[in-house]
Amino acid sequence: MFSARNTEKEMIFNGIPVSPGIAIGEVFVANLDELSLSDSKIDRGEVEEEIRKFKRALKQTEAELKKIKAKLAADIGEDHAGIMDTHLMILDDSTMIKETEDYIRTELGNAAYALDIVLNKTLESFASMDDQYLSERAEDIHDVKRRIIRNLLGQAQEGLKDLRRKAVVVAKNLTPSDTVGFDRKYVQAFVSDRGGSTSHAAIIARSHGIPAVVGLEDFTHKVRPYDNIIVDGITGQVILRPDESTVKLYKDARRRFAEMEKELLTLKDYPAVTLDGREFELSGNVEAIDELKDVSSHGGKGVGLFRTEYFFITRSSLPSEEIQYKYYKDAVKQMAPECVIFRTLDIGGDKIADWITNFDEANPFMGWRGIRFTLSRKDIFRSQLRAIYRASVHGKLKIMFPMISVVEEVRAAKQICDEVKEDLLKQRYKINEDVEIGVMIETPSAVALASHIAREVDFFSIGSNDLVQYSLAVDRGNSRISYLYDPLHPVIIQFIRDTVKAAREEGIKVGLCGEMAVSEGVLGVLPLIGMGLDEISAPSYLIPEIKKIIRSVTYDETRSLVKKILKLSTPHEVRELLSKFIKEKRSELTEFIPKVALDK
Amino acid sequence: MNFVLTEVTDKMKKAQVKVINENGIHLRLAGELVKNSNKFKSDILIEKNSEQINGKSILSVASLGAEYGSELTIIANGQDESKALDSLVKLFESGFSEGEK
Repeated sequence: MFSARNTEKEMIFNGIPVSPGIAIGEVFVANLDELSLSDSKIDRGEVEEEIRKFKRALKQTEAELKKIKAKLAADIGEDHAGIMDTHLMILDDSTMIKETEDYIRTELGNAAYALDIVLNKTLESFASMDDQYLSERAEDIHDVKRRIIRNLLGQAQEGLKDLRRKAVVVAKNLTPSDTVGFDRKYVQAFVSDRGGSTSHAAIIARSHGIPAVVGLEDFTHKVRPYDNIIVDGITGQVILRPDESTVKLYKDARRRFAEMEKELLTLKDYPAVTLDGREFELSGNVEAIDELKDVSSHGGKGVGLFRTEYFFITRSSLPSEEIQYKYYKDAVKQMAPECVIFRTLDIGGDKIADWITNFDEANPFMGWRGIRFTLSRKDIFRSQLRAIYRASVHGKLKIMFPMISVVEEVRAAKQICDEVKEDLLKQRYKINEDVEIGVMIETPSAVALASHIAREVDFFSIGSNDLVQYSLAVDRGNSRISYLYDPLHPVIIQFIRDTVKAAREEGIKVGLCGEMAVSEGVLGVLPLIGMGLDEISAPSYLIPEIKKIIRSVTYDETRSLVKKILKLSTPHEVRELLSKFIKEKRSELTEFIPKVALDK
Repeated sequence: MNFVLTEVTDKMKKAQVKVINENGIHLRLAGELVKNSNKFKSDILIEKNSEQINGKSILSVASLGAEYGSELTIIANGQDESKALDSLVKLFESGFSEGEK
C-alpha cells in the first residue's frame, strides 16, 4: 500500500478526536461541495423544456430526501430525521420555485444556474445575520441546493454509498445525506474540516466503531485522492503522506489497540484493585444513552459522568420535563444496579444550544456557563431536576453540579433541589428523597474552598479538563498557547491532592471525571492512584487501560511518587520522574507511555 | 427573496406580533410557520421593518432574520383571513410551542 509515490515530507495535523481507533490507509475525498456550473444561456424556445427539467429534478430530489429520511429514522431515530422535513420544505418553497422559473424565463439562464443565483441570494441574507445558529442552518440550504443541481446536471451522486474500496473518507463536513447508505466495510476512518464531538459524523462514527477526527480546518485543501494517511482517533492526530518509520510506529499502535480491545475482554470482570489491595471504582463518561453499553462492555462500573447537555444541544428546542424523564429513566434502568451520576446542564463555554442565543460573550469560558446558567434560568434547571428526581426510583443515580466557583452556588442549587423534591411529593410522584448531591471541582476557587464546599455535599468529582484550563489560565483551543495546557503540571497534582484532603476531612467521597488519562496514558493515571481517589471516571474505551495500570502497581509506590511530584516545579520533571519509575520498576507498563509525552 | 404578492391595502386584516423565541425565527420555526400558513387559502404576508415577504415560503421567512424581540406585522388576505390571522398570532404567542415538541 505504501509505494514509492510517497516521496513528500509527512505532514501532521491536530484535530478533535471524536471516535477512537487507528486507521492506516488511502484518502477518498468526498467532493460533496464542489459542483461546476455553467452560465450558458438557453434559447427562447427552450424555456418551457428547461422549466420542466427543473420540476423533474425537484421531484427526483424529493424522492431521494424521503428515502434518506426513512433511512435516518431507522438508523439513528426519528429525532434526527426531523431535519429532513425542513429539507423537504425548502424543496417545496413556492417563492424559490417561482423565482427560479422567472429567472429562466426572463434571463434565459439554464435551470442549474438560475437556481444557484436564487438560492445564493437567500444564503447571502443568512450570512449577514450575525448568528452562529443561523449560519449553521445555511448548511441545510446548501445541502438541498447541491442535491437539486446534481439531479439537474445528471451527475452521479458522489455520496459515500459509491465508495467501493477501503479508504479513509475526507470531507469538509459530513451531513446526514452524505453518510446515508455507506458501507461500513469500506470506511476505515472519517476525517473532516468542520465539526465537533456532537456533529453528525462523530455520532455516526462512534455508533459504527469507526475512528474519526474532526475540526481539521482546511485539511481538505491539503489532501489529494489516494494520498496515504494515518488517522489516530485517540489523540486526534492525522498524518498525511507519512514516512515509513511513522507508518511502522502506527502499525504497532494499531496492533496494540486491537490487542487492548481483546485484552479488555479478559479484564472485564476483574476489579480495579492495586497489587496491595486498594480498590478503585472505575466508571465511564458518557454523553448519550447509546454509549451506556460501551461502559459495561469495557468493564466500567456505572457512569461517573453523564453529560446531560448533549441531550439538549442536539435538539432544536428545549426538551420538556417529560421527555427528559423518559431519557433519564431509560439510562438509569439500563445501568442498574450500578449508579449513574447525572451532571446537570453544563451549557455555555463552547457548548451552545440552538434554542438559546444571547450567548454573545467576550469571554465565554469565564462567563455564563454551568451552574451560573442554570441558576439564572431556574425554569430549565427545575424541569431537569424534576425529571432526574422522578427517574430516581428506577435505579441508582446521583446529581452533580458543574462549574461551581463559590459556596453560595452550592447552597442555591441544593435549595432548588429541596423545593423540587417537595413539589414532586405534593404532586404524589414517587421519588428517592435521599439522592446524593455532589459538585464538580474544576475551578481554582472551588479547590481553595473545598473544605467549605465539602460540608454542603455528599461527593466531589474533580473535572480535570477545566481545572487545568482555569488553573493555568490557558485556553487549550488557542494554538499559540496550548503548549501551556498540561494536566501533569505539579500545580494540578497539588490541587487534586488538596481536594482529596478536604474531602477526606469531611468524610465525603471524591472522584475524578476529567479526561486526564486520555492524553497522558499511564503517566496521568499513576498520580491519580497515589492520591487515593475513590473513583475514576473516563471515556469507556480507556477503562481497560486504566484498570490494567491500577492492577499493575501498588498504592504504596504511587503514593510515594505523588510525594515526590509535589516537590517538583515543572511538568517536564514530573514526566521524567514517572517515566523513570515505569522503566525501572514497572517495565510492562512502558507501552502505555504516550509517544508524544516525552517530547514535551 | 422578497417580492410582494399583493398590494397591501388598509382594508386587509393585520396583526402585530412579537418574537418571544429566544433563538428568533430560525429555519425550523420558519418551517412551522409555513406549515401553519399553508393550512389557509388566504395569502399571508409578513412584514418586518417595512420589508414584506411571502409567509408561505420557508426560505423567505427564515431570511427575514426575525430575532428575539423583533416586531412583525402579519397580513392575511383572502376568504379565511380572520382564521388564518388568529392561528398565526397564537403560534407566535405560544412561542411556537417550543419545548413541548
